[in-house]
Amino acid sequence: MALAAEYDVPIPYMQRTRDYYVKLGYPAYRWAHFAEVPFTPLATPLVQARLALITTAAPYQSGVGDQGPRAPYNAAAKFYTVYSEPSDVIPDLRISHVGYDRVHTTAEDPNTWLPLAQLQQAVKAGRLGALTPRLHGVPTNRSQRVTMDADAPEVLRRCRDDGADVALLVPS
Amino acid sequence: MSLLARHLEANGIPTVIMGCAKDIVEHCGVPRFLFSDFPLGNSAGRPFDVGAQARTLELALRVLESAPAARTTVQSPLRWPDDASWKLDFDNVERMTPEQIAERRRHFDDIKAIAKSKRDAVERR
Repeated sequence: MALAAEYDVPIPYMQRTRDYYVKLGYPAYRWAHFAEVPFTPLATPLVQARLALITTAAPYQSGVGDQGPRAPYNAAAKFYTVYSEPSDVIPDLRISHVGYDRVHTTAEDPNTWLPLAQLQQAVKAGRLGALTPRLHGVPTNRSQRVTMDADAPEVLRRCRDDGADVALLVPS
Repeated sequence: MSLLARHLEANGIPTVIMGCAKDIVEHCGVPRFLFSDFPLGNSAGRPFDVGAQARTLELALRVLESAPAARTTVQSPLRWPDDASWKLDFDNVERMTPEQIAERRRHFDDIKAIAKSKRDAVERR
């Protein structure tokens, strides 16, 4: 087995971003950080469980510019409140509003940020009990305080309304 | 997304995150995390590779059902198809010319202004 290159490690995004902000002349960003982490053991086997899919992708909006593959960063395509979409079809969700790697990926295949087709397949195959009737979208561009005080309780409420046993969260 | 996973978990809903930013997710501290060492934007698997996408979901489900404690990270064994040098590019100021940095700054200011006006419009409703 050959040795890997020195740089072949997970990208240190926090350090990269700190250096980037300093160079551009912006104040440092402080990422959320906790010493304690909650843990709820699985109470329902997945074969019987109802899973809620949660995404940071944005519903396509007409009239706010390019949101397609290779689109430049599109702040006008952002959204600011939690939304829900039916999970039995594939909604048109895009990622032009976030800072994905535009050099090394093109956003041509929505299955790279929304594993809904795979989840539907897992239900069909009997691996997973069911999907909740809705998937949920959460904004990422607001303060950590807004996420904790407004968005997270709203997603919890919707997950409970839908009878979710477990949740899969996929940041874009 | 990490904050949300923590909130759901604290309120009785077991969670798993699929993601590509290992340090940021682990710094926050989440219950269960399937890490794919891919460019940002590919949390659910490699593009146009249905087999890899299925395998990525299956790994996440395995993490969900088998993690023994909080802060369980599993790294997907799948590799990004290109040479690993893609990792040197993302927002790397050491690889940018002064002109590129100036352009980035202009672009960043534009983005912030657009996002702010949109957010203000939403909050006025």
